[in-house]
Amino acid sequence: MKGDAGMMPRLMMMGLGALLPAMPANAHPHIFVDTQIEINFDPQGRADGVRVTWTYDDLTSLQFIADRGLDADFDGALTDAENAALSGFDMDWEEGYAGDTYVLLGAAPVQLSGPSDWTASYQNDKITSSHLRRLTEPVAIGPEPLVVQVYDPTLYSGYYIVGEPKLTGTSDCQITVQRPDLHVANARLDAAIAALPGDAENDFPALGAAFAEEVRVTCAARS
Amino acid sequence: MRRAVLILGAVFGAALLILWLSGGLTAVQASILAGQREIQSALASAVRRIKTGQPGALTALLTVCFTYGFLHAAGPGHGKVVIGGYGLARRVPLLSLSAISLAASLAQAAVAVVFVYTGVAILGWTRERAHGVADQIMAPVGTAAICGVGLWLMWRGFRGIRRQTAVQQTAVLPHDHSGHVHDAHCGHTHGPSVTDVENLTGWRDVAALISGIAMRPCTGAIFLLILTWQLGIGAAGIAGVFAMGLGTAIVTVSVAGLAVWTREGALASLPGQSITRILPWFEVLAGGLVVVIALSVLAEVL
Repeated sequence: MKGDAGMMPRLMMMGLGALLPAMPANAHPHIFVDTQIEINFDPQGRADGVRVTWTYDDLTSLQFIADRGLDADFDGALTDAENAALSGFDMDWEEGYAGDTYVLLGAAPVQLSGPSDWTASYQNDKITSSHLRRLTEPVAIGPEPLVVQVYDPTLYSGYYIVGEPKLTGTSDCQITVQRPDLHVANARLDAAIAALPGDAENDFPALGAAFAEEVRVTCAARS
Repeated sequence: MRRAVLILGAVFGAALLILWLSGGLTAVQASILAGQREIQSALASAVRRIKTGQPGALTALLTVCFTYGFLHAAGPGHGKVVIGGYGLARRVPLLSLSAISLAASLAQAAVAVVFVYTGVAILGWTRERAHGVADQIMAPVGTAAICGVGLWLMWRGFRGIRRQTAVQQTAVLPHDHSGHVHDAHCGHTHGPSVTDVENLTGWRDVAALISGIAMRPCTGAIFLLILTWQLGIGAAGIAGVFAMGLGTAIVTVSVAGLAVWTREGALASLPGQSITRILPWFEVLAGGLVVVIALSVLAEVL
């Protein structure tokens, strides 16, 4: 009889053990951003800027439009005045916000300026905005790749690279898009969260990076 | 035969319930999360169609909302933890627990409506402010209430165990010379009977369960209510939120069924008189489960 009595408690304890690490893995993006990347080169052939184009999912776009009271006639088109009002709507960045765009040379971070030269438009029920991030120091790319990663460290927004990334101002470089192995990334997320004592916030940057899509640019070695 | 079915339920139900509650059904959850983008897109499309007065748009919105409620309850939802934990802990009839689940889901929708229309429509909150209040005040308070339900279950369980121990101690000594008689009656006549325990499930439990679930608002519901209010189609949004509640209820009612099946199966596999002795342990453990889940959710929010 003791054995029977022990069955449920044992099962419940097993459930308890499995519970804690599993809970936070329910996080998923709430904002979906299709991202286009264009890398600009200066006359000396050095990369000097990244133009980032964000197309927000239609629900987020609808929310931005409704929040600002734009497109009151709901015909899907903005007037010139409304377009002007929309411009820069996502460019008022809080202190310390890195813009969800990260550039690396190999593994070394490359400094970026704040956003400039921005645009915004509303078409096909979606808002598209673009902005330029200058490289603080232009980079001469060789065999070691220049990596542009797009991710939100907190995973609240999901960035997905769409279209063919562009290289402007150079002809002897190759560009490839790399997407994370979601299975591996999820496993890393679970492992990292399991190792934390409940305070997952501080370590989130590394976790968001695990899910990052990125473009990699390599160029012919210079003489 | 009935007993065999019940015992099968104990094994099957316990396995499924623990997998589900613990997030072990990752394959299911992965597909749920992958569907988030499609759901959001369908929601946006339905809202646009209502706004532009297209036929069938409201049906489309209600369908999307129902699906959204179902998927979110099956994934990260908290209601199933409360209902599952309570269903394991107490000998509450399936019909009552199902009714509580349904009422709680609809109450959650009603709370979201009252919250948004008080905050945004009357007090003039921005969307950020409303979500902030929901996340930083209502969610922790609701989680604390859930935690309270767990503690309440544990406390009652411990009280039951203590009472049994006391009964056994007083009962064993005088009956020392007639052990076989004592075996048949001890703990059955003196301890709380199964019926007594069932009767303890009163309005306080029902209120605690419903408010614990209803107090934690669904982010998606708040989002939809604010958006439709801004667009001047508030009634459609309110209908949509109640459709979400019904979708949620499908999940919590299923969990209620699983929990009751599991509990009754486990009890059916025990000899009659030990049930009363085991029941308090069900309460302690299931209550503990609810507390741990609530605390881990709370740790995330705070």
